[in-house]
Amino acid sequence: MNKKRILVIDDDTGLNQMVKLNLEATGNYEVCIENDSTLSVETARRVRPDLILLDYIMPEMDGGDVTTSLHEDPFLRGIPIIMVTALLANREMSPDGTVNRGGQVMLAKPVKMENLLKCIEKHLLPAE
Amino acid sequence: MSAPDSPTQIVNREMRDPARTPVRILCVEDNDLDFILIRKHLRDAGFSAPVEIQRARNIHEAVHLIGVADGGAPYDIALLDLSLPDSRGVETYRQMRTAAPRVAVAILSGNSDEELALNLVQNGAQDYLPKDSLTPDLLKRCIIYAMKRQHHRVEMEMLTDRLRRTTEELKTTQMQLIQAEKVESLGRLASSVAHEVKNPLGVIQMGLDFLEKRLPGIGDDVDSTLNLMHDAVTRADSVIHDMLDFSRSDERRVESCDLNDIAHCVVRMLKHEIDKRKITLRLELAEFALKTQCDSTGMEQVLINIVTNALQAMEQGKVLTIRTGRALAGAVRRDAGLREMNVMRAGDEAVVIEVQDQGPGIAEDILSRVFEPFFTTKPTGEGTGLGLSVCKRIVELHRGQLLVANVTEPRGLLVSIVLKSEPFTETAPKTREGPMATVAAPHAEAKAP
Repeated sequence: MNKKRILVIDDDTGLNQMVKLNLEATGNYEVCIENDSTLSVETARRVRPDLILLDYIMPEMDGGDVTTSLHEDPFLRGIPIIMVTALLANREMSPDGTVNRGGQVMLAKPVKMENLLKCIEKHLLPAE
Repeated sequence: MSAPDSPTQIVNREMRDPARTPVRILCVEDNDLDFILIRKHLRDAGFSAPVEIQRARNIHEAVHLIGVADGGAPYDIALLDLSLPDSRGVETYRQMRTAAPRVAVAILSGNSDEELALNLVQNGAQDYLPKDSLTPDLLKRCIIYAMKRQHHRVEMEMLTDRLRRTTEELKTTQMQLIQAEKVESLGRLASSVAHEVKNPLGVIQMGLDFLEKRLPGIGDDVDSTLNLMHDAVTRADSVIHDMLDFSRSDERRVESCDLNDIAHCVVRMLKHEIDKRKITLRLELAEFALKTQCDSTGMEQVLINIVTNALQAMEQGKVLTIRTGRALAGAVRRDAGLREMNVMRAGDEAVVIEVQDQGPGIAEDILSRVFEPFFTTKPTGEGTGLGLSVCKRIVELHRGQLLVANVTEPRGLLVSIVLKSEPFTETAPKTREGPMATVAAPHAEAKAP
């Protein structure tokens, strides 16, 4: 089975490393990292991820800006995006740790691995 | 040389037109001869304004006349004989003063009580007149000066009172400003702190998740260490949440809720904790719906916080009481941070949840501070001092009141959440009456949060 490719866009390098470590440890995912949100579109075009994990608060371009530019790109607009943010509290989340705000799936930091995995599995598009 | 050359120098505000405004005198004198003499002197004195004199033969009558006159034309001055059939000495003066705090009083003194009269002048009477050497001139001067002194005294009292009130308002406003500033800067801090702290927390959380998979069953020490670290992350996370709650805008989903449901829900969530601490829970919930417009999640959060505080304050074996009911909102002391628009009016129909513990209570001198952000009585590391301030904010966003009070027998702390009721319907009683049904903790099988 082909590994699914996840692109993590977050300016926190430590957190990125942890996400990569955990996701790749499952054996199901290959994780690419982008620390600079202004390069999001460029990197996404190169990596062609199956799903994007996107931080919200980042310098230069925040998660909202990145989402907009990803959606504007004809090659990238179909890729599912999960927003991971420190702006929400875990107790506001539904039992699976997610919340849907205006059509955007969100996870609250700090994310439990269990919730992250479930959320990714749920939103990955079925294989072609 | 009777009248002063320029009467305007001495007349007070109420006597601006001395020719027309009458001088109203109450003469309290039981001796007919003395009274006739005084009346004659008054006529002879040549007041520029008309003089109206009324006589009371005893203090009872005097008090009555003042009571009757108070609404219409109060007296300018009372000429008071201290020895009356129904009252003597200081007592006479005291009764007169109580009945007419704003009327000038001049004591009519005989030989025997001149010393006392002098003494009274030092203690609030405006002047004294020795009856033996009374002259029209003396009487007139005494009356005019006594009225003027009384006028000044009243004005000074008014100014002092106004100053006191202004100072109080200033102090309240200042405290509100400090409070608002604290809240605002905390709000500003919260989002940035949340971001800065949640990322490292995320690293630790995910690191733990990773290690737990890599080191399964290595030994109890490793497992318990990992568990402790997990708990620590959760605790740190909840502190951040408290701060985020503070910075939150006022968007809350408000809908019609029953306070009993909120109480039940919180009891379900905390059942485990209550049992663990061996606390007896006494639920005294109203048997009818207590409808209010509120954000149930927010209100549950408030109640959880208050109940948790109560549990932490109690030793095992004590009783925690949660009560609900209807009431009329009382007049609430305006304290720091409480803004006018957020306050219920006294007499508003209200629904109430009360949480009463049997802990040590809170010292009266710090009771008013428990809602300040960062104020805590718990040891370092056990409380941020944000819990109650968040609660208060949430309750105030609902235009409700959060009140704390020490209670006795048994000693403890009583915290009340008072919310505006939806209009009372049906036949339920307006206020709590009699012993409410004691209900066992419901749905004990529900899972802990």
